[in-house]
Amino acid sequence: MTTSSATVVRSKSEPIVPTLGIGLPYLASLPAEIYQAGMLEFVEVTPETLCRQRPDGKAIAIDPVPDLVARARRTCDSLPIIVHGVELSIGSAHGWNEAYLEMLDSFQTSWPFLWHSEHLGFQTIPGENGASLEVGVPLPLPPTEETVRVVAARVRAIRERYGVPFLLENPAHYLPGLPTDPTVADEGGLMTAITNHGGCFQLLDLHNVYCNSVNHQCDPLAIINRMPLDRVVEIHVAGGSWQDGFWMDAHDGRVPERVWELLDYTLPRATNVAAVVFEMLDEHAAVLGPTAIAEELQRARAIWRRWREA
Amino acid sequence: MNVSLLGFQSMLGRAVRASGDPAVSHRCNVPADVPTDLTTLFASPGFRITVDVQRSWSMGRAAKSARLTLSILPPEQSRQILEQWVKAGGGTASFFATEADAFLDFIAEHLPAPSHLLTICRLEQATLRASEAARRFIAPPLSGLDLPGRVLRASRQASLVRFYAEPNLVLAALDGGAFPAMSSSIVSLLFAPGLDRLLREASGEQIALWERLIEPVEMKTLLYEGHRREVIAALTLAGATEYVEQGQRCV
Repeated sequence: MTTSSATVVRSKSEPIVPTLGIGLPYLASLPAEIYQAGMLEFVEVTPETLCRQRPDGKAIAIDPVPDLVARARRTCDSLPIIVHGVELSIGSAHGWNEAYLEMLDSFQTSWPFLWHSEHLGFQTIPGENGASLEVGVPLPLPPTEETVRVVAARVRAIRERYGVPFLLENPAHYLPGLPTDPTVADEGGLMTAITNHGGCFQLLDLHNVYCNSVNHQCDPLAIINRMPLDRVVEIHVAGGSWQDGFWMDAHDGRVPERVWELLDYTLPRATNVAAVVFEMLDEHAAVLGPTAIAEELQRARAIWRRWREA
Repeated sequence: MNVSLLGFQSMLGRAVRASGDPAVSHRCNVPADVPTDLTTLFASPGFRITVDVQRSWSMGRAAKSARLTLSILPPEQSRQILEQWVKAGGGTASFFATEADAFLDFIAEHLPAPSHLLTICRLEQATLRASEAARRFIAPPLSGLDLPGRVLRASRQASLVRFYAEPNLVLAALDGGAFPAMSSSIVSLLFAPGLDRLLREASGEQIALWERLIEPVEMKTLLYEGHRREVIAALTLAGATEYVEQGQRCV
């Protein structure tokens, strides 16, 4: 595994984040030739896509599937990996998904990652008899002091548990009028408070910013300026599509021109960014095709070079 | 805010789940006890689109888990079954394998019995069960058969699927052809995690033993009734039958 020698050092007590460059998610449907040094500098792996869930008493267990993991490792062999989880539900007040963390424990042992990230949201609520009930879709957290307390404490526990940087991603959502405490105010205030109190970093998803700006009719630059830009280590760009008057975070195509502009705006302001990922879903990757994906990677790299290699 | 984080999440999460019923898709399922400062949220188009996304994802996850069976049903019947399942709270797990078995049971309830459609549904379920179990399967020691008071039962990881025609002819219909006529000559395939390629045609003795072990039975009773030890041992090694430990007995 090779990484750039350039690094971002926060302080003596904080971990070192290696500067990576441009990457893609690991998608089993894509040709292995894409996952080569020269095309990419790193791969973002979502371990749950290499696992199966099974009932384990009242709870569930998440087991890595050896042949899926082996295939992913063969494909990504020459590149460093980072992890992007989807199942933790870090903001669920009744408790997070311990099965995810147990899976990540063994995943880290077998395939170490440079850092890992999760979504700032919740997707489970209390069910009957102490069980956890899946909502079926991730939902946003209200920008309140209680949210900050709950999530920051969990962030600290995660940092302790894995010993590598942990990032939280700002979500896309469609809900107006979330309960708000004036001391936290908005999603930028929430992210700032959690990164401060929890000691984590941010994964700034610019397509999510774009979605929220379109759907809540606000200025995307204002959203970005409210984020803790000095804590942003990774950026996501992605495509979406319209549905019933909403711009959906569908990860189903090319990156909108406005999102490229947001990347160009953000990179010189978020000087600790170490990686940019072009996100898409597996089922759309084959439709988009390797040529279009390579073009999106080139576009991201051109903007990256403008600000990082100038 | 006036409501706790737990209270807010429970209210929102339950409302999103409950509003997935297409019969009420034109309105929001606003909880009766929603605080007035949250009425804007629950009455918003953004809440409605969130519900639509939840329903669409749940339908997609469920459809993926029973792809084979749903593909051979009339499209309208497939859609209705999926909607009923999601309306009942199904399809919400991000990785649906944990619900797939129950969903296939749910589909089976909607199919005529016996029928080739039901056979295909049970075939998909049997394959799912055996292949999932095969990842962790370790054949039990046969010495356990001789323990005093040993009780056995059919394993949940195994299945017996009955074909009402030559299996090859039934499976050939999956490529778009017509199902063969229903025959009174039944072929039974045994699926189990320890079998080569997970399945084999079951003999008459194996079928009789399997059916006897739907409920737990003591080993000495099986032998007394004439079931051969070799047959019991073969099914146990294949993971088709399993030992019932103390405290697990159902009868």
